[in-house]
Amino acid sequence: MAYSDKVIDHYNNPRNVGQMDKSSDEVGTGLVGAPECGDVMRLQIRVNPETQVIEEAKFKTFGCGSAIASSSLATEWVKGKTVAEALEIKNTDIVKELALPPVKIHCSVLAEDAIRAAIGDWKKKNNVAETAEVAVAAH
Amino acid sequence: MTSVVTTSAPAACWACRAALGGSPLLCAACGKVQPAAGIDYFQVFGSVVGFERRLTIDTAALEREFHRLSRRLHPDRFARATAQEQEWSLAATALLNDAYRTLRELVQRTEYLLKLEGFEIGEEFAGKNKTAKRQPPADLLEEVFELNMQLEEMRMNRKMGESDPALHSELTAVSLRFESELAKLDNNLVEKGAAWDAGAAAGDSAGRATAAKDMAAQLDRRRYLRNLVRDVNEALSTDKES
Repeated sequence: MAYSDKVIDHYNNPRNVGQMDKSSDEVGTGLVGAPECGDVMRLQIRVNPETQVIEEAKFKTFGCGSAIASSSLATEWVKGKTVAEALEIKNTDIVKELALPPVKIHCSVLAEDAIRAAIGDWKKKNNVAETAEVAVAAH
Repeated sequence: MTSVVTTSAPAACWACRAALGGSPLLCAACGKVQPAAGIDYFQVFGSVVGFERRLTIDTAALEREFHRLSRRLHPDRFARATAQEQEWSLAATALLNDAYRTLRELVQRTEYLLKLEGFEIGEEFAGKNKTAKRQPPADLLEEVFELNMQLEEMRMNRKMGESDPALHSELTAVSLRFESELAKLDNNLVEKGAAWDAGAAAGDSAGRATAAKDMAAQLDRRRYLRNLVRDVNEALSTDKES
């Protein structure tokens, strides 16, 4: 199966690969995996406690090109967004942007899961209720 | 989940109208090949697995039945039969081969049964059903992630023309540990399969459903481990060559 140019670009030049201090209160870590294909994806965000803006995002993914591209794109997209805005990112947006074929849609689902897991971890650390709407202080 | 599943009663032979015992692919009375459409793998070997989706299988009996049916259904035997029967014998032989290859292996057999029972198993279902998604346990994910990091380090070392004997032996130990865990998982699968069969015998559909769910979880973990073992062994073998 041919990968789209965008997937190949993210695969060859992945953005924001790396890790941040898991124990920091400002950092949320999401570790997700797909038992079906054996992929595993770690996505981390660093949130400004004042503005709730995601100032930094890092990822490390072991998996196919589409999984790497999906998580690379996810880190690009969450950066600069507030936590609430980042939760709006849908896997279908990733599918569209990367032109993923149907058999690779689960890679984008994994990336969305990773964003949610990272934000969930950050919320837990900072005692933000899962259900409460995160008000944006910057406005 | 449906209640206890028994496959539909074998119909009658299209040629002599005798009831089809044994395999629905072949009439025991007149030896005519039967159409294969709509017959599942368990039904093909109905005389061995008892016309019921059972997981505890006598593989020696399965093999004997496979050889017997292979001979009886072989397209050569139908060279002078009608075009329809020739076609059926080809289809029956193909189905027989697939059924045998699937049922003789514990893991394939279990996966096949769970698919028949409506469980979404395997890569083709990955992420398709968002509500029924099964995230692997966190400790397994951590372990998988760490291991992948080590594997990457070993590959990088190798690219630089170095090798790290400590890392190599650590990964060898990991590989062995995973192999033994795989063996344990297979034993578990046998046990759960027996629970499934017992549920069937007792008409206990809840017991069956529980066993099926357990087996699906075991198969997930198994798939992860199998991929890891493969990756580790691959990395170890190329590392040795350096």
